[in-house]
Amino acid sequence: MEAQVGLLIDYEYCTGCQSCEVTCKEEHGYPVGKWGIHVLEEGPWEIEDGTGVFNYNYVPVPTDLCDLCADRTGKGREPMCVHHCLANVITYGRIEDLAKKASTKGKQVLWVPQYKPLEAKGEFVATKKNRPAEVAAPVEIESNDAWSTAAHRRSDDDHFELGLVD
Amino acid sequence: MDEMKAAPAVKLDTLSDVNDLGKPWRYEEDGLTVTRLSPWSAPGCHPTGCGLKVYTDENQKVVRVEGDENHPVTQGRLCVRCITLMDYLYNPSRIIHPMKRDPKDRGNAEKWERCTWEEALDIIQENYDRITKEFGRESCVCFTGTGREGGTFNPYGSVMLGTPNYCYTQSGYACYIPRLAASSYIIGAAYPEIDYACALPERFDDPAYELPECLIMWGKMPLSSNGDGLFGHAVVDMMRRGTRLIMVDPRMNWLASRADIHLRLRAGTDAALAMAMLNVIINEGLYDQQYVDCWCYGFDELKARVNDPEKGMTPAKAAEVCGIPEEKIVAAARMYAQAKPASISWGLAIDQKANGMQAGQCILDLMAITGNIDVPGGNLLGDATTGLNEVGFGFEKGVGDLASKMVGLTEYPAYCNLIMNAHADMMLKAMETGEPYPIKFGMYCGNNLMSCTSAEPKRWHDAILKSLEFCFTIDTFMTPSAQASCDVFLPLAASAERDGTTFTHYGASMGIKGFSQAATRTGEALTDAEACFKIGKRLNPHWWEDYETVDDFINHLRLSKKFDFRDVAKSVYVQDEVLYRKNECGRLRGDGKVGFNTPTGRIELYSTIFQQFDDDPLPYYEEPQYSPAATPELLGEYPFVLTTGARPYAFFHSENRQIPFCRELNPDPIVEINPKTAKKLGIANGQWVELWNQFGSCKQKAKLTETVDEQTIHAQHAWWFPEEEGSEPNLYGNFRSNVNNLVPNFHFGKLGFGAPFKCLLCNVKPIDECLDTDMDLVWNKFKREDQ
Repeated sequence: MEAQVGLLIDYEYCTGCQSCEVTCKEEHGYPVGKWGIHVLEEGPWEIEDGTGVFNYNYVPVPTDLCDLCADRTGKGREPMCVHHCLANVITYGRIEDLAKKASTKGKQVLWVPQYKPLEAKGEFVATKKNRPAEVAAPVEIESNDAWSTAAHRRSDDDHFELGLVD
Repeated sequence: MDEMKAAPAVKLDTLSDVNDLGKPWRYEEDGLTVTRLSPWSAPGCHPTGCGLKVYTDENQKVVRVEGDENHPVTQGRLCVRCITLMDYLYNPSRIIHPMKRDPKDRGNAEKWERCTWEEALDIIQENYDRITKEFGRESCVCFTGTGREGGTFNPYGSVMLGTPNYCYTQSGYACYIPRLAASSYIIGAAYPEIDYACALPERFDDPAYELPECLIMWGKMPLSSNGDGLFGHAVVDMMRRGTRLIMVDPRMNWLASRADIHLRLRAGTDAALAMAMLNVIINEGLYDQQYVDCWCYGFDELKARVNDPEKGMTPAKAAEVCGIPEEKIVAAARMYAQAKPASISWGLAIDQKANGMQAGQCILDLMAITGNIDVPGGNLLGDATTGLNEVGFGFEKGVGDLASKMVGLTEYPAYCNLIMNAHADMMLKAMETGEPYPIKFGMYCGNNLMSCTSAEPKRWHDAILKSLEFCFTIDTFMTPSAQASCDVFLPLAASAERDGTTFTHYGASMGIKGFSQAATRTGEALTDAEACFKIGKRLNPHWWEDYETVDDFINHLRLSKKFDFRDVAKSVYVQDEVLYRKNECGRLRGDGKVGFNTPTGRIELYSTIFQQFDDDPLPYYEEPQYSPAATPELLGEYPFVLTTGARPYAFFHSENRQIPFCRELNPDPIVEINPKTAKKLGIANGQWVELWNQFGSCKQKAKLTETVDEQTIHAQHAWWFPEEEGSEPNLYGNFRSNVNNLVPNFHFGKLGFGAPFKCLLCNVKPIDECLDTDMDLVWNKFKREDQ
């Protein structure tokens, strides 16, 4: 699951237009109810009461269905969310380049998406099944006449068995 | 303009090096044909003409839609309404063949029958001939909408039906035209748009351009709607380059959260705020004395007015009226006046009040006295040759003397003269009373008035059904209005299926001329030009003799016969020539003289035209008809200020409700209530509520948000539910969530303009019902065959 590319989002200017969401659905054929990227709304709420200054941000969040438009990026084009973003706030690129760009101003977030992360891990493979067994020395086990229900109080002066098991 | 050269592209830095910059208007790629175009409608939108690349397969079916990076302003960017274009074109509920229905079956969704274009034309002609013979051509009305080519397609009225009654059906024409009127009468130019370097070849980096230091967004949030053809996100482009904002809006929207000053005024009090800002700028000497001396008329009178103890407006008085701290008003006035250059983007909120003409007048005065008109980074004007492209087209030929019979012309000449439209409210009255004469024949073009445009929609519904003997529509989808009242339905081509043009800002100021040649065709749908040509040739062939082909008609209507559409269409995007300070070189006036296109030749701070129309030549403030200050006695019953119609990204007015991915973004009609208000009323987030006032009621779903203050309630407009039963009385749930039920007609200003869509009173209460949209139903009913 090593990743080399991602999306840098300048959420100072994300206006919440949701072009990224919808173009992703069209590009990938995702139905109603599923997204490869989803815009979350945070606010508005007043930062200090009475000042009229509000916190109000939108942040697009890639989901587990974001494949960074592998078909397009494979041909050297940018993902559709980048292409159609009305505020032009999404940049696609190599993570080290994006990280450099991220350091130039505040209110940015760098996403490194993973398409279908469970699938990306691959099927479970038991890797140690040929490991040699650790064999203990043979011991003889005798029957247990002192069996009692393990969950019961076992103090000698106050032990009771319902006697349902022989 | 002497030539029509393709505008150069300006690459976005996020666009990859592998791209389609420089491609021709049509090219092949991976077995598909790609057509670049600059669409207008349908689906409806303002004339922005965003760049599109439409990919068609060997059957000319659209298989992919992308934003075209060659467009100098949109640069590949696209909103959800065009991203989902395929879902619109191939929606299973789209109507792509003509249909007819017996007028006695109006309102019955089951009674439509498919017919041929010829049969539809026969029915239209039979009714037209019979009705006009008995009642005259003035008995015909075109109900026009907004944001579709058909919504402003004047030839439908003038040379197709030959009626003076082309009529936008919103009370007081409370959309764009009041601003246009104020501007035409006071400045003598159609509409001063902010300078976002739209038509400059190098855009923001063009040597001719200067970035405004300050931009006032006044009652305008253009990001979602691209209002009046301004690409809304150009404002974000400017912010990133350093433009600082002042926001004038009752709502704390996204732009307001990024503004240096947010003037969160009580809805409807804009004129008071603007007068107070004039007061500050004039009294503190922050205006441009030289500009005023040279170019303005009536400055002393304006100065006297804003300082008048009775009719004037000090910042202190405005603070009380608007509910804004006085120091914020003063700070905003100083910021705007001292920034060079500065620009004002004025929006729909100006139009949606009776006092809006005065608000507009003040805003124009602000632009003028600070010397920000027609300068780089200020507010730009069109030259003497520009105006709205369509207004008056074919009027002399098709209407002629009948013009004097235009409904409302006598009572509201300032309105009817300006836009050559019948007055909306007077048309309603004419249909209700038969006075001054009967209205019998109707057509909808780009209009779904019962869901969207009209105040008191049930009243319009009843008037239309009572008055019209025959009515037809041309549209892409069935609408509640057509379902209730039409007898013939003609299929309309959507964008990507049209040969057509898009002139940004309706052609009112310098921008981009966009050209599109159809990439595909669906069923028997025709464009507005084609339908108008076809019907016009049938009904009034003598007015159409000059046009052998539809192209001849387009060449005349759109290109004044100076160019050939097929030639220029290859350029796709053509930038107008930008010339600043046209007042200095005689380019604003028909006589070629220096100055402005007004009676005095100057910007009329004292309006001689307002005076001629019997209104006050100077600005004044009037309270909205129903407001906490005007009608305190109503506050017991209706304690909240109601504002309506903030634009979502998902929809253009009443459109896109049947596009699943659009609807998913906004499944239900949303009313915004402040959490503190909701707490007092016992309303939970997401609960359905009833809103009501003295005019009507509706049901919407509450969103608790600090977007609105505790006194204000904001409700979405234009709701109907295409997934529901279409027949009367349900009519796709048209009247259930329609906030226009609460908006009255006949509440316009003295010149006939404005309506209180954004400044009324109301009350609200929680209800037990849950009316949530079932998105599975919407998806299953409206998804494309291949989805």
